[in-house]
Amino acid sequence: MANELPLKGVRVVNFGWVWAGPVVGQTLGFLGAEVLKIESAARVDMTRNLPPFADGIPGPDRSLSNHACWAGNGSVSLNLKEPEALELALRLIATADVVVENFGPGVMERLGLGYERLREVKEDIILFSMPAAGLYGPLEHVRTYGLSLTSLTGLDSLVGYKGGDPVPVENAFSDPFAGIFGAFAVLAALNHRRNTGTGQHVDFSQQEAVMQMVAPAWMDYTLNGRSGGPKSNEHPTAAAAPHGVFPCRGDDRWISIAVCRDEEWQGLVAAMGNPDWAATPAFATLPARVSTIDRLHEHIAQWTRGFDDRELAARLQEHGVAASPVLNVGDLLHDPQYRARDTFIEVTHPLGFKETIYGAYVKTSRSRPDIRPGPTIGQDNERVFRTLLDIPEAEYERLKRDRIIY
Amino acid sequence: MIPNTPAAPRGALAGIRVIDFGQMVSAPYCAKLFSDYGADVIKVELPEGDAARTAGPFPGDVPHVEKSGLYFFHNTNKRGITCDVAHPEGRRLFLRLLEHSDVLIENNLPQRMRAWGLDYATLAETNPDLVVISITPFGQTGPYSGWNGYDLNAYHLSGASSRYCGRPGETPLEHGTFAADYFGAVTAAAWGLAAVYGRELAGGGQQVDVSCAEAIAATFVGGQNIGCYAQEGRFDKRTGVGMPLGAPATILPCRDGHVWMLALEPGQWNGLRKVMDDPEWASLEMFQDMYSRAQNADVIYEFIREWTLQHGKMEIMEKCQAAGCPVTAVFTIAEAAAQPHLQARDYFVDMEHPQLGRLKNLGAPFKLPACPGGPERPAPLLGQHNAEVYRELLALGAADVRRLAQRNVI
Repeated sequence: MANELPLKGVRVVNFGWVWAGPVVGQTLGFLGAEVLKIESAARVDMTRNLPPFADGIPGPDRSLSNHACWAGNGSVSLNLKEPEALELALRLIATADVVVENFGPGVMERLGLGYERLREVKEDIILFSMPAAGLYGPLEHVRTYGLSLTSLTGLDSLVGYKGGDPVPVENAFSDPFAGIFGAFAVLAALNHRRNTGTGQHVDFSQQEAVMQMVAPAWMDYTLNGRSGGPKSNEHPTAAAAPHGVFPCRGDDRWISIAVCRDEEWQGLVAAMGNPDWAATPAFATLPARVSTIDRLHEHIAQWTRGFDDRELAARLQEHGVAASPVLNVGDLLHDPQYRARDTFIEVTHPLGFKETIYGAYVKTSRSRPDIRPGPTIGQDNERVFRTLLDIPEAEYERLKRDRIIY
Repeated sequence: MIPNTPAAPRGALAGIRVIDFGQMVSAPYCAKLFSDYGADVIKVELPEGDAARTAGPFPGDVPHVEKSGLYFFHNTNKRGITCDVAHPEGRRLFLRLLEHSDVLIENNLPQRMRAWGLDYATLAETNPDLVVISITPFGQTGPYSGWNGYDLNAYHLSGASSRYCGRPGETPLEHGTFAADYFGAVTAAAWGLAAVYGRELAGGGQQVDVSCAEAIAATFVGGQNIGCYAQEGRFDKRTGVGMPLGAPATILPCRDGHVWMLALEPGQWNGLRKVMDDPEWASLEMFQDMYSRAQNADVIYEFIREWTLQHGKMEIMEKCQAAGCPVTAVFTIAEAAAQPHLQARDYFVDMEHPQLGRLKNLGAPFKLPACPGGPERPAPLLGQHNAEVYRELLALGAADVRRLAQRNVI
């Protein structure tokens, strides 16, 4: 039984929708779990309607972003407003190890799928819930988008140009972050179940999980009472200088440069051709550079401006300096590093079109995931209802006709 | 949370032993997720200590190797030992520790691990069941695997900043924290724990190679952008606005800070109108759906700003939330720390450190009711558990430990 994926045999029923919930399932799926997303044509997940669509033809099974973010999930379609559909969902859960959901608190109960009900059909079930701010507390029913959730953690107050107002991050970094983090929480609960035989209801507050990211600012607050604010790309604890993004030749081309150690500073000075300004005491030591960082960054920006970003990164790396080009979306597909690691792959969708999605974004030396496109609605119905739940063919056809399986 | 109670249930990861051979943020935070949920995590530091010990923040900004806030946060619930792996005897000790462990978590550059004679092939030979979690900015393979890099470089290689963070034509921005390191850390924890959990199925240990840049480029940027680029050859960049296709969806200033102003769907927009006392401009034709509002963003943001500037952010949040509108206050760190919600959920824990004294820390990032996790014991002092760990795991006597210490091996 060598070289199987590590979660083979684990079955996950995923009520997750939009982005964070599906990514929990995706991650577990990449790792070998059988993941079945429960969704319905009666109320299509909004991200299935996000353009662009494959070949420009709109349709809930053709959303290109949806396919990448949900790869790894299977799909079963059940119209949960129907009592019979609910019964089928519970029968499926009775065969499962984990149930995932990212609704607001109380929604699963209202659907008839609360933790106590799930335990009746599967005593050691693990229910993983990831509402915005947790399952209880004064902000229990707070309304957020992933975009704005980060504002409740203090994180947004740190993003922006030095001394200026906060600048909004324009997509939900918290969604894939919490989704992957959630997979860790599920695995921890699985490990506990293996140790003790008991399942549990995991309360994963996205606010609290994401707030871990503000730790450097948090510690400055707890130790010094300072509350932090935007400071461009400077080091979060002022332990490096230079530490920034500098302009390069061309339209919107930039390079990131970070110097933590004295050897790196020597390397940077050498790469710049030993300019006089760099030899002055104002820049001689790390504490000196940190205290003169604005002037330091101006000098470096003057120098970087004339170079191509990739050539300059390679040149700085030859001098041992930590530097990288600032890539845009168009660069990602062609970047030699991502090409070498098969970060993005082309797959053929069951509907016949080809699409580019991301593959296993972690490389494991023993077992490589098999990456399939995101699911069409109900693509696993036949296997799940006919084979797994052993529903006779005539009954299965009736359930489809009655839009229970729908 | 019931700190330090012997009767408290064992953690979810009880029975797993981890060696944390990391520095700064990515590997230590990954290892903290193991230690805070019950694994036995032994942090192995070079004699000079984890670089986080000199990175601050320090009380009163006075550097001290035992007083770094960064080090404190990322190393709770761990035991700490020192070991000079560059010394032949130190390297031998390190490999013997791995024979007694399930997981190694490290974030050294690949060339550094090779120079120490700790490449994956050697580690796998030492302990074929060992799961090696390697977290680096760029990964173990590919043309940039030999590059020097930090969190900043990884983040900006991911496409995230060019696409989503900063004003057009101006510098692309990071999040003001170690955003790439944290992303890499949770990714490594999930994939690494799976590799441990399924070790028998997988046929033994393996290397889990996490590139912080790649994890973000794929799942955050790639997920919603690469399909479009591959098919249509066009891509978007940061606008500085928030959400360009709908409005209002941006951060706006108010009397005492900022709010995330979001009112896209009709119900949300009507809720906001009500909270603003239904000003005359709000009934203009061009503001009646989120797309046309976005096309007139300059105008509408001026109008809304006039209103937000007259009100406090908590008041705006409260009233908008009550009206079905997902507006949130942009909390400062101090405001997050004072949040009744987070307090009611016991998110903050009081901890005691021999050098830092009593301080308020962030607690468990998620709640496992059957086996609570979270930080209970403070980060170790440099070499604090040398005698204990070397005796317990490698059966070294007090004299051996003394001798190794004298020779600066530990």
